[in-house]
Amino acid sequence: MTRILVVDDEPQILRALQTSLRGAGYEVDAAATGGEALTMAAVRPPDAVILDLVLPDARGTDVCRELRTWSSVPVIVLSVVGDESEKVAALDAGADDYITKPFGVGELLARLRAALRRAEPSAEPVLEIGGLRVDLEARDVSVGGAPVQLTPHEYDLLRLLALNEGKLLTHKTILREVWGEAYADESHYLHVYVSQLRRKLEPDPARPRYILTEPGAGYRLVDPLRAS
Amino acid sequence: MRRGELAVGVLASAGAVAFVTAAIAVLKPYVPVLSMGVLYEFAVLPVAVLWGIWLATAVSIASMLAFNFFFLPPTHTFALRDGANWAALAVFLVTAVVVSVLATQARRRAELAAEEALESEALRRSDTMKTAVLHAVSHDLRSPLTAIVAAASGLATPEVRLSRADRDDLVATIRAEADRLDRVVGNLLDLSRLQSGAAAPHTELWTADDLVYRALDQLGPGGERVVTALDADAPPVHVDAGQIERALVNLLDNALKFSPPESPVRVRVEPRGGELLLHVEDRGRGVAAADRDAVFAPFRHGDGDAGGAGLGLAIARGFAEVNGGRVWSEPGNSGHFVLALRV
Repeated sequence: MTRILVVDDEPQILRALQTSLRGAGYEVDAAATGGEALTMAAVRPPDAVILDLVLPDARGTDVCRELRTWSSVPVIVLSVVGDESEKVAALDAGADDYITKPFGVGELLARLRAALRRAEPSAEPVLEIGGLRVDLEARDVSVGGAPVQLTPHEYDLLRLLALNEGKLLTHKTILREVWGEAYADESHYLHVYVSQLRRKLEPDPARPRYILTEPGAGYRLVDPLRAS
Repeated sequence: MRRGELAVGVLASAGAVAFVTAAIAVLKPYVPVLSMGVLYEFAVLPVAVLWGIWLATAVSIASMLAFNFFFLPPTHTFALRDGANWAALAVFLVTAVVVSVLATQARRRAELAAEEALESEALRRSDTMKTAVLHAVSHDLRSPLTAIVAAASGLATPEVRLSRADRDDLVATIRAEADRLDRVVGNLLDLSRLQSGAAAPHTELWTADDLVYRALDQLGPGGERVVTALDADAPPVHVDAGQIERALVNLLDNALKFSPPESPVRVRVEPRGGELLLHVEDRGRGVAAADRDAVFAPFRHGDGDAGGAGLGLAIARGFAEVNGGRVWSEPGNSGHFVLALRV
């Protein structure tokens, strides 16, 4: 059975999530503090973690960073409006996705499924996301069967996004992976390349369906059919 | 400048001029006397910085006269023999005045900078305060909302299959959190009424029993932990029952929150002096001596109350005071608050 670790210091929130997640067929462990969460994750390794950003004994961001030193379990952080910088810090620290309080259980379950799916890496040399096809060996890209010419940086950017389908990647993470550590703060670089990629891939670049912008946080590549 | 300050300035100025004069007299055998006029700047400069330009100019003139009288031939007269001495004296006076002007300006600029620093510090603090208030209030409103939305959507999501007990549990969560939300909103309204002076009490005669029973009726979860020791002979008090009930509920809520989950919270009634005292005692850690007054400030929360706005005690004190009463925290190793009402 898939095990989820839920970390929140509000007992009522914890309880509602536990009941709903159990009802959806997951096994659920709960922790109310950062310390408890790390112990629990070590003793009973979960398949995914839902982590509140504000805990009585620690910042969720620090818990996430600590967890990442020994575990690659998917982490979804719970943030609130007005805490954008903390949310981005958590994503930079290795969180996979975020969801803003208050949230519906349906949305949480969808995010959880996407995170769990990503956690099983496919050995496929060809990624197919909707009509988008990326051949990692031949470095070939096509949309709806029509080949697309990409510059090396555009290809690297698309490859990173496609390998992390559905996952929110922060500006910093993308810049570091594609351009290198020295470019980690050059967000404008990224915006330019993303709009070029959209012009080549999206049916309507003004209403992107593949490469979505998460304002103030980063980008994620989604399957337009699955995302709706 | 105040009179006392001016007197000190005049005395210091006279002392400074006398000191420099004496110093020049001592140095006279070793240094050409004409070149030592500049030493009077040591008197002018501090006076200019500490007491401003008028006294500094007076010191300049006094220094010039002293220099002339004691050292420029013919000595011990205010007359001057040759043109070179006149010129030296004139240069000296101008230098002294310029120095005092510059020093005064420097002093004013330093004062302005200090004022500005103070103002920007005050601004920064009020910004930090506003952010903290916003954070606390949004936390208090959002936590129950999050629990309600999670529980309600859990009930409504088809893929979530729930047992009868699970459904009851989620419904109970929604009800309890909606009540909590209602209390938070009520507290915010109470506080804004108190702060805007719109909380005029409608006083009537009430007994302590009535006030305590009404408060117990309003208490949220955990209310069954409250144990009462009432006094049938206690004198009645002239208060607004609704407001005193809010004050008592908040004191009890606070006691329930900061004491061990199963431990009792005691309410005791005691007539003392011209007052009726309502004691609320719990088995928690109590309030540190340094915080005994600070806990009543709004938007300040104790340990273990992650990010909450902590309005309860501020409201309790506010309502007690508009009814002519008092609220305080008793010293001790366990929680003990007292609400005192005038008989």
